[in-house]
Amino acid sequence: MAIIRWKKNDMYDPWSELSRLQTEINDLFDIDRFPTTSGLFDRPVSPAIDVIENPDNYKVISELPGIELKDIDVSITSNVLTIKGEKKEDKEEKKGKYYRKESLSGGFQRTLSLPTSVESEKVQAELKNGILTITLPKKEEAKPKQITVNIMEEGR
Amino acid sequence: MAEKKQIQAKSKRTLRACCDVYEDDGNIILRLEMPGVTKDKLDIKIDGNELTIHGARQEITETGNILMKEIYEGDFYQKYVIDDTIDRSKINASLEKGLLTVTLGIKESEKPRKINVVAK
Repeated sequence: MAIIRWKKNDMYDPWSELSRLQTEINDLFDIDRFPTTSGLFDRPVSPAIDVIENPDNYKVISELPGIELKDIDVSITSNVLTIKGEKKEDKEEKKGKYYRKESLSGGFQRTLSLPTSVESEKVQAELKNGILTITLPKKEEAKPKQITVNIMEEGR
Repeated sequence: MAEKKQIQAKSKRTLRACCDVYEDDGNIILRLEMPGVTKDKLDIKIDGNELTIHGARQEITETGNILMKEIYEGDFYQKYVIDDTIDRSKINASLEKGLLTVTLGIKESEKPRKINVVAK
């Protein structure tokens, strides 16, 4: 059995209560001071990922705003998917004077272990509007199969 | 505020995009990370001194079994107050690869000027 990190939403987290309170107070004053998402590096230095399992494929969706196609490297070894990349900081913007900097840049990597093996030759990846979608078709033996069982009536 | 509540009533929540603000070549540049927002779903408005940026996102309509869910659902919505130093007719925006760049031009009269001293 492959291991996938399972994030339990209703698990008790004392800090989530505090951040919820902060959001509610901010809403009261209509303050948008703190970003709801910290962008690309939202979770401990890695972009956000959704994994969806369909009957014949897996879909991995990731938010990668402002990243060039050539800076993304998607690789697969048996059932381990690695998304690697680098967000480069524009050199031209460095000469400007910064008032606020919330986005981060640098390298990132995410490795996922998929529950079943996939057809690595047929993996497709698409980058559109800053969202990377990777479609990984399941191997034939891993697809759910329906077997029809013929029931014979006895005594005729 | 009322508009924000309207969006929240329609979709589930509003998110505030990550934003960089810097000055470059006599322009104030806002750079917002808005992955998944397309040009036709983006709405930038200026009302008096309020700059409103609303980027509606398409909901991910995958019906399969969700194994991991980290991407927040919701629209990007945020408001900025801009002052009189910004020339209202010199505001441009461009969207590329999920990155929105809003260029706010500073009024010519507000820019630093060099005064020539004439010796007599």
